[in-house]
Amino acid sequence: MIETAVRLLPLFIGLLFLAGLSVPLTHRIAGKRLGLYLSLFPLLLFLSLLLLFPLFKESGAPVTPGFFELVESVNFSFRLDGLSVVFGMMISGIGFFVLLYSAYYMAGYDRQSHFYLYLMLFMGAMTGLVFADNLIALFIFWEITSVTSFLLIGFNHDSSKSRQAALQSLLITGFGGLCLLFAIILTGEASGTYRLSEMLASGFSLRGDASYNLVFVLVLIAVTTKSAQFPFHFWLPGAMQAPTPVSSYLHSATMVNAGIFLLLRVNPILGDTALWQISLIFTGGITMFLGALFSLGQNDLKRILAFTTISALGTMVILIGIDTVQSIKAAILFFIVHALYKGGLFMMAGIIDKSTGTRDVTVLSKLGRGLPMTSLAGLLALISMAGLPPMLGFIGKELIYEAKLETAIVSWVALPLGIGANMIMVAISITLVKDLFITGSATGATPLKYRESQYPWYFMAGTAVLAISGLILGLVPGVLDLMVGHALGWSLNSYGEVHLSIWHGFNKALVASIITVLLGITLFRYRTRVKPVVVSLIAWFDKMFLPELFASAISKFMSVAASNTKRLQHGYHRFYLITFFVVILLLLLIYFLSPGGGVAFPDRQYTPFRLNVVLMLFISSLAVLFAVFSKGRLSAILAMGVVGYGIAMLYLFFGAIDISITQFLIETILMVLFVMVVIKLPRFAVLSTPGSRLRDGIISVAFGAVVTIVLLNVRLIDLNEPVSTFYAERAYIESFGRNIVNVIHVDFRPLDIVGEITVLTLSAVGVYALFNIKVKRASKGVGEEER
Amino acid sequence: MKNIILEKIAGFFLVLMLLFSVIIFIRGHNNPGGGFIGGTVAAVGFIFYGIIHGVERVKRLVRITTIEMMGAGLLMGITALSISSFAGMEPATAIWFEFTLFNSFDLHLGTPLLFDAGIYFVVTGAYLSIIISVMEVLKWN
Repeated sequence: MIETAVRLLPLFIGLLFLAGLSVPLTHRIAGKRLGLYLSLFPLLLFLSLLLLFPLFKESGAPVTPGFFELVESVNFSFRLDGLSVVFGMMISGIGFFVLLYSAYYMAGYDRQSHFYLYLMLFMGAMTGLVFADNLIALFIFWEITSVTSFLLIGFNHDSSKSRQAALQSLLITGFGGLCLLFAIILTGEASGTYRLSEMLASGFSLRGDASYNLVFVLVLIAVTTKSAQFPFHFWLPGAMQAPTPVSSYLHSATMVNAGIFLLLRVNPILGDTALWQISLIFTGGITMFLGALFSLGQNDLKRILAFTTISALGTMVILIGIDTVQSIKAAILFFIVHALYKGGLFMMAGIIDKSTGTRDVTVLSKLGRGLPMTSLAGLLALISMAGLPPMLGFIGKELIYEAKLETAIVSWVALPLGIGANMIMVAISITLVKDLFITGSATGATPLKYRESQYPWYFMAGTAVLAISGLILGLVPGVLDLMVGHALGWSLNSYGEVHLSIWHGFNKALVASIITVLLGITLFRYRTRVKPVVVSLIAWFDKMFLPELFASAISKFMSVAASNTKRLQHGYHRFYLITFFVVILLLLLIYFLSPGGGVAFPDRQYTPFRLNVVLMLFISSLAVLFAVFSKGRLSAILAMGVVGYGIAMLYLFFGAIDISITQFLIETILMVLFVMVVIKLPRFAVLSTPGSRLRDGIISVAFGAVVTIVLLNVRLIDLNEPVSTFYAERAYIESFGRNIVNVIHVDFRPLDIVGEITVLTLSAVGVYALFNIKVKRASKGVGEEER
Repeated sequence: MKNIILEKIAGFFLVLMLLFSVIIFIRGHNNPGGGFIGGTVAAVGFIFYGIIHGVERVKRLVRITTIEMMGAGLLMGITALSISSFAGMEPATAIWFEFTLFNSFDLHLGTPLLFDAGIYFVVTGAYLSIIISVMEVLKWN
């Protein structure tokens, strides 16, 4: 059953991509319901995963046969295991609500079809990433998420802030992606396979390998960039420029969690070493604490949430770094917890933004009256974020504390940092509840542009359902046992029975929780004094640290590139040609004069003297001379035509009929074009000085001479058997064609031809664009620059 | 250029050239010809028609824009190459179907034919695009 079901995976992922790619067509039909229609696709995936889930066996993940194998051992194969199912369910489930939410939120935006196109591709790539079995496929999906998230973050492309944020995120995550590619290639070379299923089945591990350190560092860079870990965390708050549904999706279940997924995925291969533990705990610890701390200094609701996301990601990285059964279990559960509350909170922020027109928490106040459902859902999500019972967040936090307490070495570092970060989370949650729903810094209820009752159900569904599922799962966490257990098995290669419950008895973790809450309440009371300190700290970090450095590095790079381009791309066609010819000329001369090279004319049987060929060459040469010295343009063009036809005749003499015909036709078209243009051009104008003509003459004669020498030399290379025999023998047997040239074109070497027709298309499009710009410019008046 | 005889001939010439190009395209597998030459011949037909009747008439006759024509050609070419990868073979492997017509005439149809047709359209589209652009700039007719 499950082996059959896994074959549906490529179909589902393909369907997501297809749904995205067909948006330009479907948005005309679906109109305003586009978001609703598209949401059916992730819903379908979610429901199928939900149905499949109980069928899982404890060992052996079914793998689809690979397809689209472009390079050997690099193909698209997918696997269905516990880990990918947990991530897949969150991606599809939250994706469903995000699409519903977008259907209303994006209604006022231009270019909606672009938005849905990017979002669906992003969703498809994310799904592909978690289900990929081939590491190269995983990398490809990883990169697609980077590119599509760039498009999504920069969706409001007329704002420069948004473009900058998008570029920043692309550069950082793209850099991480490159590192990941290196890591994957090294791993693949070391293990001899790119397939996860084979690596996991054979118990392969890089731990003892010489390349371990390098691979680990590369993976670490990939993860820190993607998951916004310190010191690359700064792109994530910038990504707030995206429309809210995107932020909600990026932060909760996708994008930044791809790094977490990667860590869990490679844990059996790379994990459980001192390096892994130390560096992940260190990175995650700093990120967790700084993320939480920085969130205290923000006023924008979305930015507050963004920094808490960074903190949550840090928590997950620490847990994976500790790398015990207990901690991986906590990490997986915390991923679910975080996705549920963060997705809901971002959607809440969007609803508040839509209703009041602002996201500034210092302005907002008493939202409960106009937005009762949203407020209730937001309250539940904030309780979950604070880690208080009876929400799932409480169980998650208890597990985290247990995991940290259990491991003696790390508990002294990780636990205080964790308590610190959670204390801030508690304080932030209380602050937000107070600011948004009770009375904030502002007095009186914020005036609402829209009330909740004016919104359609699908706009409210996401926040409500995600918050309520956090509550239900908190009350009956047992339903997650199997899910977390399976995921655990695939990240650690060993199964652990998982029993989640809300009451663990009175233990150390509970004490830690109580301390956290008390500290959080204290911090909340003194928040007005802490905030200025944090704000100045953030300013110091921004100035002294990476964001500024990064921005200046990018701008310097751009200016160097611009000046270089200006120097190289001067726009004079004749100088391009001169550069090209002279460089090749010099290279060939160096080769001829160097000791190893040189020209040789050994005895060899040349083709017998043929009168027709010599006559043809003679006529062509005459025509060339005529063209060079002719005074009239038309006659010069005709002379050039004679040269062209002469070459075509030469082809014919030597039996290349296809090429000859082509040459004739093209020569004709060229002549027609030339004549057409020449008729319309003004009379002769002298555009070149005698000096430049002499220079051009010398260069062309020299180049022609050298090419002749090269050709004479090439003829001397003796191939054992001409290639043509190979094609001649196989053309009819394998490809049913007697015209070898054509068979080579369409069957033996079609990739060359694809390249050629692409170039042809591009040049035709280039000509088209060039002429159309000129037409516009002419109508605008001479001298006006066209941008 | 108003010349009734020339105009009539141009129309006739176009039909002839198009037919000719299709014949060249089809015979290309066994004799000189193929997508590239066929496409060029078709383009020549359109060009002469355009010189006599003007660009607008050509555009109306072709119906789709030249860019679309080239895009369609590229799509056909790439589809022909990638079909085999989805069928589990190496990319760009030719897939052939054999038919026997009237009990005697063997017909081989396969992805290379689709590929060649793609070349035909790209070549026709590219030449037409360039010529039409030039003629528009020159305000031909």
